[in-house]
Amino acid sequence: MRSLLSATERRLMWVASAIMMVLALTTIYPILFTFSTSLKSTKDFIRHGFSIPTAPTFEKYLSAWSTIKIGEYFLNSAIVTVIGVGLVLAVSSLAGFALAQLQFRFRQAIFYLLLTGLIIPVQVIMVPLFQVVVELHLLNSRIGLGVVYGAFFSPFGIYLMTSYYSTLPAELIEAAKVDGASLWQIYRKIMLPLGRPALITLGILTTLSCWNDVLISLLVLQHDRTLMVGIAALRGEFGADIPLIASCVVIGAAPVIAVYLIFQRKILGGIIVGSVKG
Amino acid sequence: MKRESAFAYFFVLPALALFIVFRLIPLGAGSIFSFSDWNGIEPPRWNGLDNYIELLGDPVFQATMLNTLKVLITLPVWVGLPLLLAIFIYLEVPGARVYRAAYFFPIVLSSIIIGTMFSIILRYDGTLNQFTGLVGIPGIDWLGDGRYALLAVILVAIWAHFGMSVLIFLSGLTTIPPEIIEAARIDGANLGQIIGRVIIPMLRPTIELVVVMTTITILTSMFGLIYVMTGGGPGTATYMPEFVIWLMQGQFSRLGYASAMSVALFVVVAVVGIIQIRLMRSQWSR
Repeated sequence: MRSLLSATERRLMWVASAIMMVLALTTIYPILFTFSTSLKSTKDFIRHGFSIPTAPTFEKYLSAWSTIKIGEYFLNSAIVTVIGVGLVLAVSSLAGFALAQLQFRFRQAIFYLLLTGLIIPVQVIMVPLFQVVVELHLLNSRIGLGVVYGAFFSPFGIYLMTSYYSTLPAELIEAAKVDGASLWQIYRKIMLPLGRPALITLGILTTLSCWNDVLISLLVLQHDRTLMVGIAALRGEFGADIPLIASCVVIGAAPVIAVYLIFQRKILGGIIVGSVKG
Repeated sequence: MKRESAFAYFFVLPALALFIVFRLIPLGAGSIFSFSDWNGIEPPRWNGLDNYIELLGDPVFQATMLNTLKVLITLPVWVGLPLLLAIFIYLEVPGARVYRAAYFFPIVLSSIIIGTMFSIILRYDGTLNQFTGLVGIPGIDWLGDGRYALLAVILVAIWAHFGMSVLIFLSGLTTIPPEIIEAARIDGANLGQIIGRVIIPMLRPTIELVVVMTTITILTSMFGLIYVMTGGGPGTATYMPEFVIWLMQGQFSRLGYASAMSVALFVVVAVVGIIQIRLMRSQWSR
């Protein structure tokens, strides 16, 4: 591509590159700044706001652990995320298998009904949703929050798994049936193993959604806090201690950044599938 | 066959149950409650269209709508910036790979993480003002001054979301065959013409899709940033629909009224959403 450009245009590309570099730095800077701030003592931060830490210390991480119960928030987030992701994977693989490969009445209707879930955001139903959560005794329960996550993030999963399973040849199931396998065995022994790549993508994306959520968590857990709710509350409670806040932000972001660095391809690919096709 | 279809229902049952209990029933109940005065403790008192009438005259709701409109006016930036970035990455600008990796980074971060980071940077005694102070520019209270708070939230929201749009544009760009650009080249088109007359027209379906997705983001995904950066303030300067609904329900226990707001928001989101599904389908069948 580049070889096709004239000399002037090549210079233009360098100008564009310079602008894009500034933008890239703007993207990375807040993250590096937060990390560097988290390694400072309060005094160090007040004296040298932007410089790299003069005497790096993990003191703020320790006080995040001891004074803010960040460990407890972390555990809460981990629990609700595991439940939410488990539920989404189970529900989506079961429904995806049936909707893609089995014949039954109202199949199309059920598929489209479930997909309308994609256009009912939690924001427009939070009032009655709260009542449902109360009625079902899910309020202030971490299991309850996990279940609500399962409900909210499964329509995307159902879409993903249905389109993934429809690419499998119907003969596969026919052959298994001829061999006397039950539908449950087909699901366990054929569909789950074959669906692995899609299920991994779905699992990662759902992990991000659950871990990063704040609105549903505020709604369902009113006594306990997930990590994001805990971090959001810091500004009011520890507003003056910037390095402490920064260390909590790092704790909240680290797992997500790790997941991103490991599974970059899967995440980006999954988002594209989600945006263009579902 | 009969047994198979019975079994098939068993497989879709969990999905259906979750959908009905946590989305369909709340959606139905919400529209019914929107015709009532209800604080969540005493039984709802039906009041017809009162909530909707109150909504029209409510200064808070009007301020919210005005804010939403202001944010929507910035839509060209939300879409145009990532579009240009994606095109230059596609054209293999020097450093394209590195830039792309950097731009994708915020996609995975939660709005709380992003909002908190920027609160530290933007607060009055924060890093940005310290920095501009060094070169003699007077500080701006980005989050505490009603004139700037919404702008600050918008800029941070764009920061949070532009990587996603770059990603979608890049996937759209892969559908443009390089031969077409080479052909335009041989016909003597310059860089500007290639971008303006070849690439952008061919990318039209993707642009439409990103416009719709961004609109939905603006209407429904600003909560986290507002919650952590400004708390809706100062005054009503950064009220957005979902934030106000949350406020009416949680802080003021006006459930019927909050439901009416939700119905209004749902109608808007549903219309945009249906357009989105149509666009996806045309994209899909291409």
